[in-house]
Amino acid sequence: MSASVLRDPAEDQSAAQALVPVPRHNKRRDPVAVAMTVFGVLVFCFLFLPILVIFIYSFNTGRLLAAWEGFGFDAYINAAANQVIRGSVMTSLQAALGTAVLSTILGTMGGLALARATYKAKWAAILTGLLALTLVTPEIVDAISILPWFVSLGTDFGFTPINNGMVRLVVAHTVMSIAVVTFIVRARMQGTDMTLEEAAADLYATPWNRFFQITLPIAAPGILAGALMSFTLSLDNTTVSSFVQVPGNTPWPVYIFSSLKVSLRPEIAAVSTIMLLLTLVALAVVALVLRRFGESSTDIAKTIAGA
Amino acid sequence: MRKISRRGAGVAALSFPSWAYLVFFFIIPVGLVLWYSFGYKPDLFTAHSNATLSLDRYFEAMDPTFLSTFINTLQIAGLGTLICLLIGIPFAYWMAVKVPAKWRGLLVALVLVPFWTNFLVRTLGWQIMLAPEGFVSEALQNIGLIGGPIEILYTRAAVQLGVVYNYLPLMILPLFVSLDRAGVSLREASADLGANRVRTMLQVTLPLAAPGIISGCLLVFIPLMGDYITASVLGGAQGNMVGQLVANQFNSAQNWALGSAMAVMLMVFILLTVAIVGAVYLIVRAILRFNRRVLIEEPAS
Amino acid sequence: MHQHSPMKILAPAAAIPKISRRALLGGFAVAGASLALTGCGKEKGFAASALPNGQLGRQLNVYSWGDYEDPDNISDFQDSTGVRVQLDSFGSNEELIAKLAATRGTSGYDIVVPTGLYIPQMVANSLLQPLDHSRMPNMANLDPTYTNQVWDPGNKHSIPKAWGTTGYVYDTNVIKDELASWQDFMTAAETTASGKTAVLEDSWEVVAIYLAAHNIDMNSTDPAALDAAEEYLVGTLAKNIRAFNSNVATSGIPQGTFALMQAFNGDARQGMLTASDPERWKFVFPTPTANLWMDNWSLAAGAQHPDAAYAFINHMMTPEAALREVEYIGYHTGIKELKEAALANEMELPELVFPPQDVLDRMQAAVLNDGQERRVQILNRMQAKAGA
Repeated sequence: MSASVLRDPAEDQSAAQALVPVPRHNKRRDPVAVAMTVFGVLVFCFLFLPILVIFIYSFNTGRLLAAWEGFGFDAYINAAANQVIRGSVMTSLQAALGTAVLSTILGTMGGLALARATYKAKWAAILTGLLALTLVTPEIVDAISILPWFVSLGTDFGFTPINNGMVRLVVAHTVMSIAVVTFIVRARMQGTDMTLEEAAADLYATPWNRFFQITLPIAAPGILAGALMSFTLSLDNTTVSSFVQVPGNTPWPVYIFSSLKVSLRPEIAAVSTIMLLLTLVALAVVALVLRRFGESSTDIAKTIAGA
Repeated sequence: MRKISRRGAGVAALSFPSWAYLVFFFIIPVGLVLWYSFGYKPDLFTAHSNATLSLDRYFEAMDPTFLSTFINTLQIAGLGTLICLLIGIPFAYWMAVKVPAKWRGLLVALVLVPFWTNFLVRTLGWQIMLAPEGFVSEALQNIGLIGGPIEILYTRAAVQLGVVYNYLPLMILPLFVSLDRAGVSLREASADLGANRVRTMLQVTLPLAAPGIISGCLLVFIPLMGDYITASVLGGAQGNMVGQLVANQFNSAQNWALGSAMAVMLMVFILLTVAIVGAVYLIVRAILRFNRRVLIEEPAS
Repeated sequence: MHQHSPMKILAPAAAIPKISRRALLGGFAVAGASLALTGCGKEKGFAASALPNGQLGRQLNVYSWGDYEDPDNISDFQDSTGVRVQLDSFGSNEELIAKLAATRGTSGYDIVVPTGLYIPQMVANSLLQPLDHSRMPNMANLDPTYTNQVWDPGNKHSIPKAWGTTGYVYDTNVIKDELASWQDFMTAAETTASGKTAVLEDSWEVVAIYLAAHNIDMNSTDPAALDAAEEYLVGTLAKNIRAFNSNVATSGIPQGTFALMQAFNGDARQGMLTASDPERWKFVFPTPTANLWMDNWSLAAGAQHPDAAYAFINHMMTPEAALREVEYIGYHTGIKELKEAALANEMELPELVFPPQDVLDRMQAAVLNDGQERRVQILNRMQAKAGA
């Protein structure tokens, strides 16, 4: 889209033509643009194909997920009736909520601290490096390291709360998502002006007031995005969860993972479809909230992806 | 000066909980892994002992059979990143540039949907599609494209396909963000100066999108090296990747020392690869810049 | 990146925290390091087991092999007692032992299902609890042939759950020859079923393929024999293997993903019963010999729901439950007169569950000895080589 400024476009074009021959493309049927659109659509198909397959196979009435037998809602009914499946979905949701709360608190504080840090402050550099390290460490390394540590804490040091399955899940998931929240909040706060805070301080606002009435509202979109990210990351987490989980508090992805070697049932597809819809609803809600804060959709994507 | 440091102290205090948390639940456990890697496995039933310290586990991990798994993983990760890049750049360009602005938000949301679907579930979708007796196989056979059932499942090809699929959104998003930032006006300026589209793409758009390319590649390559789930679901025995090797040492072989050594080796591999590629990139960029220097002559005074 | 100018505020100096952040950070580091170091040297204790108190409770956690209990039996138990049963599965005894040993009593599992030969070592390493027989009156239903095994005299730590044997199943559409021995298995894996073979995830079983085929004692600890086995298995066989999975037959047969699978007899039967075309698959009790194993119910150390555990095991030993079990899982569960009851009930594919006497006579039980570690290494190398 050309932005026309204060000059006559016709004058521009003729001038340009006179000086340098610019290849003109017929804007209506540009083969390259058409090809790119086709390519884009194909990539979207590629991205959605397995999800669609899972959605369709959730209506499989057969005993095995991959062997299609007939169309029906059996899987959904069986899943709802199955206590263990219900339990693991509840566990996943509870753990995700706990993780969102914990990592948002830690991440917001950390993000604010990093955003406000003096340029080239050593502690800021180290903290950033540390957080980056958590992102860079493969999940399997996290998993094998944190389980013995949990066991040690629980049995050798007598710190019995750590033997609780939910505690283990929340703690382990937070380690994975604290960096994401911190960076999102930091990115959000770095763009904003300090003068608002300074003005509040000049007006004798206490640090608490400053924080709650100025800083938090400014950071709110970032905090919300961070909370959503950590919620989804926790819901999705499989590797670390499969190592640290305690039965009775088995998260949903671990249930699927352990069914892998045995036999996969259509109930898995059914529940996964429902979980996906749930995640999308949460995403939509957050997007709506962010939109009300005045963000454009591309900005939202940037906030989430720019971490 | 005093004021700055005072403010710094106040601000740093906010980050203490993060520090404490990371030290307690990340540094210490990972440090323990490093510590374990210097130990050994005393007998069949004890997982680990650090009574004698040695580097033997590292030599064991570098054993040709295990080393081939590392190389295999590197190949899958490298190829996967490359394919993601080749698909991601045109796609992100299309989304950021060609698509009318009012659709962009919707398209971004559509890309995020697979990103938000459970990783394992997405991979299961592929397991269903690639099944030798599944609908895709039947359809392709009926059309006549292939002679027998598709035999991709539980091979390296399936893992390659699976990882490209799973990590593609992670490549697209940073690319989109940086291409979006790269700015319409610069591309226009390039066109105005007589560059055709290819030249504009190569000399203006791509270099400006470089930060996005770099972060996309890192976001894909690093988790891909440690991938465990895609290989477990689609790989069978032949998609063996380092993640599974490490997990195996902890889950059944119960050899924590060896598993820890392998985990450390994995990290080293990742860092080395990133460092080498980074160095190559910087060198290439320096050469290109050198070649493209434009000498601006002094105006005659 | 937006650089901030230093903030000049009119706030009182008292608002700024006095603790030097370096000191605090240093304190954390020291505390953490000392914790870690003491953790390294400390005595590795176990979490305590809960004692039975007559209350059944609401939850029971069972760690068993895949698809190894009839779902109807489970729901029957759940309905009659109100206890929710969580069933997790593992793929090999090594995985079970690794889980129990690593978690040292905090695994959360109450009932575990180890294979007999591993029980003495598990007991020696405090992974299992002794059983209180008075809480399981249905033990009277057990056939004495199967109790009091050499690896657990007096059934102090285990109750028989199922016994079976190892063989292999193949797709007659792909493999046209008639296979009968372990040597046939190896040949087929290298030729017609190359790239479509699956073996068990059990190191003893996989090494036994080679040893049995060459008429060497399957329990051999002879280094030369094991070297030869490693050379063949890692060097020649590994690259033809598509999966290492102890439960592959149950889903592999209906989905047709493999042409040749080393499998336990009951799993193969389960797979064939689910498949749409069972005649296409053939199970072989291979010559010259094969493993005769027994899986058992045991109580894990650190179990938190012992009452429910005893009630569950007791429930599984009733004749009705045993009949449902044998029809679902395809293994004899050690109850008196089970074979007669099953045949009278017209169970499907009984020949896979109750092999003929001459086959039974040539089987041999696995023994856990010094060669075990070597076998585990061989399996690991095979897995790495298969992926290369």
